[in-house]
Amino acid sequence: MSFFAGYGPLAELALLNMVLAFSQYIVLRAGVFSLGSAAFAAVGAYAAAILATRYGVPPALCMVIALVAGGFFGAIVAVPLARLRGVFQALATLALVQIVLSLALNWTSLTDGALGINSIPKAVHITEAAIAVVVVAYFLHVIGMSGIGRGFDIIREDETVAVSLGYDVRKHHMIAFVLSGAIAGLGGAMHAFSSYSITPNEFGFHMVVMLLAMVVLGGRVSIFGPIVGALILTGLPELLRGFQDYRSIMQGALLMLSITFLPRGIVDTVLGRLRHRSLSRGASAKDRDGVTI
Amino acid sequence: MLAQQLLNGVVVGSVYGLFALGFTLLFGVNHIMNMAHGAVFMWGAFAGLFAVTMFDLPFAAALVIGAVAGGLLSVVLDWVAFRPLRKRNAPEFSAIVSSIGANLILLSLAQQMTATRVMRFPFDTFPIRFYEILGVRVQLLQLVIMAVVILTVVGLVWYLQRTNAGRQIRAVAYSEGTSRLLGINPFSINFQVFFLSGALAGVAGVLIGLVFNSVHFMMGEPLLLRAFVVIILGGLGSIPGALIAGLLIGIVQVLTVSYLSAGMADVVVFSLLFLVLLARPTGLFGSASGGAARVARQ
Amino acid sequence: MSMLTLHEVGRDFGGLPAVDSLSMAAEAGKITGLIGPNGAGKTTVVNMIAGLLKLSRGRVELDGQDVSTMEAQHLSHMGVSRTFQNIRLIKEASVLENVLAGFHRHETTSTLSSLLGLPSAFRERRALLRRSMDLLERFDMADLADWPAASLSYGHQRRIEMMRALATEPRLLLLDEPVAGMNDAEAYSLAEIFRDVAAQGVAILLIEHNMRFVRRLCDHVCVLASGRLISQGAAETVVNDPRVIEAYLGS
Repeated sequence: MSFFAGYGPLAELALLNMVLAFSQYIVLRAGVFSLGSAAFAAVGAYAAAILATRYGVPPALCMVIALVAGGFFGAIVAVPLARLRGVFQALATLALVQIVLSLALNWTSLTDGALGINSIPKAVHITEAAIAVVVVAYFLHVIGMSGIGRGFDIIREDETVAVSLGYDVRKHHMIAFVLSGAIAGLGGAMHAFSSYSITPNEFGFHMVVMLLAMVVLGGRVSIFGPIVGALILTGLPELLRGFQDYRSIMQGALLMLSITFLPRGIVDTVLGRLRHRSLSRGASAKDRDGVTI
Repeated sequence: MLAQQLLNGVVVGSVYGLFALGFTLLFGVNHIMNMAHGAVFMWGAFAGLFAVTMFDLPFAAALVIGAVAGGLLSVVLDWVAFRPLRKRNAPEFSAIVSSIGANLILLSLAQQMTATRVMRFPFDTFPIRFYEILGVRVQLLQLVIMAVVILTVVGLVWYLQRTNAGRQIRAVAYSEGTSRLLGINPFSINFQVFFLSGALAGVAGVLIGLVFNSVHFMMGEPLLLRAFVVIILGGLGSIPGALIAGLLIGIVQVLTVSYLSAGMADVVVFSLLFLVLLARPTGLFGSASGGAARVARQ
Repeated sequence: MSMLTLHEVGRDFGGLPAVDSLSMAAEAGKITGLIGPNGAGKTTVVNMIAGLLKLSRGRVELDGQDVSTMEAQHLSHMGVSRTFQNIRLIKEASVLENVLAGFHRHETTSTLSSLLGLPSAFRERRALLRRSMDLLERFDMADLADWPAASLSYGHQRRIEMMRALATEPRLLLLDEPVAGMNDAEAYSLAEIFRDVAAQGVAILLIEHNMRFVRRLCDHVCVLASGRLISQGAAETVVNDPRVIEAYLGS
């Protein structure tokens, strides 16, 4: 138990990061190159913190409202963003992060500016965070198995094929944005209820890079990708405690190495190898005609 | 008052244009979105600063050293972050992720080197002198900056249009496959394009460092974000587009700061980007097939 | 009335016509061949019919309805399906998942029930999986259902594309060089399947290089050279047409 006592806060952080990583995961899975999860998280976190500290709304309700607000915000920005592709989508979503950040810094009557919002009740502990991870992961798994998940996969791989099979790319991109917004809205609110205070700069470029790194390192197809990515990137700084100064350098190097040498991410690569091995074993017993390995 | 603000906007905007030019050049030729371009800019500014503070070199030498440092860093970046991906035929997504990683490393190194301090050019780096032109107070530095930007752009256009190497670069931008068949060496083209791109960032770094008299490890980030707006307004890969849009953003920003509030500048600039994308998904001057949805009949 | 009719269709690239004044038709229940030397514009024709390329001139009709400007997504829902000359699959996904993607047109579960994971979504998935397995058996690939598409041979990957196209249950099937890179035995086993599909009333437009294959399979053949129709008719007549011989030998 002492082990958990010492690492409790770290585990809680890892779980909360998983929720946010799911938000980044779902857009990348759908072939949407959005870097906007940090903006959605900021919307959720500020909505929850303001409601809880100024209007005394109970935390659970705040989190539901944050989820809806994030999803709603995702839906609004999806209207222009779903028309864009690739690089343009990435740039436009980065601009979105910057707009939200500037508003959080400068709309002081609402957000208290750079000081942030303090004395938020501590309502999220390790249990609540774990429940959120399981629930979000379950829904993402279900969606992944459904026709919508198939649409995401084929749109990500080849948009031309997708339209030739009758998939509505715009609709799928919109759905991905709404899901990403809702999940990040929830994740942001949970972050607020876990850490007593929030400041605008937490939702800036640093968060964008962290979430992207988690999903790239972990993997973009399997639901376990963002889970593993968040675990590694939350735990790594602890392992490197003596090397505080080199944390960002390690993170940057990890990002470069994984996208170059493990472009599919750890989980998807490992799952692919395992599947191939079990299939080969089955096939060698039977007929291997036509199978080129 | 308005004329004064417009002048300030044009000066800042022309440096934005210079910075965005290197960014858009890389995209136009190599289809690479270099998210570490802001870090190259920042290191260029540091190189220029050290040239002045450590070796007592004059302003002009600082500019050259900033350009060379930016250029070389950019070439190293290509070797470390982009070439391994090109060899593997990785998608454009990979290059963005890889350069985000490189950006993080370069920022972190600068942060440690300077212990997060803001550094300044010595007082006498550039003579402070004012002129009255048509009722507008013009600083000598502003005139020099505009002259440097104009000379750099003219030099770049001359290089691309008139020299053999420049023609090869444009051939690669037009069609990489065809140019390889014509015997153009992609290694040398990449070297030149990355060097030029980094050198432009380095010059812009020294200039911005002087204008605001502050050089620090985070100075590249706001510029990179503005460069996104500039190149989307101007059209990815378009040189005149980058310059015009750079000026426009500089003016919009200065006017917002003086007539609304300093904090609103970012909101206005980035909302402008959103509005443009809403109206024209490929940017104001972009070609038809830029970043818009590929789902329609071509 | 023909299932597919092209009226004086043309398409320019950079001012030069890649396809010009092409009029032809494909009948329901028949296999129509579209042949021609490399660069004749065959794939351009397919892309115009399938909704990926704009027409510069003329019009395309599906069952009498003008579909010249309809987008690919809607054409798919109208019953147009296709395969690609350069195989385009979800490489890491299994054979079964790839085929499953073709059933999109027949999905009835609402977006909301898919998002919430309501039982109707799971029921539909099971039903579609069964239908996918039926297709796999018909193409003799049931054993390979769980293999990642990219790990299989060229011939198998072409079959996956065909199954995916058939999963949409098309009225018009466009096959862009479906047997390229296959040996004769493989090609003729597919030919049987094409005949079956056509016999169910589907109009097939087959683009092919292999003359022997076209002669054995097609009811009607159109020959394209430099973007123009130079001959059409029964396979035997067309092959002996001096203009066709010249176009092939000349290239």
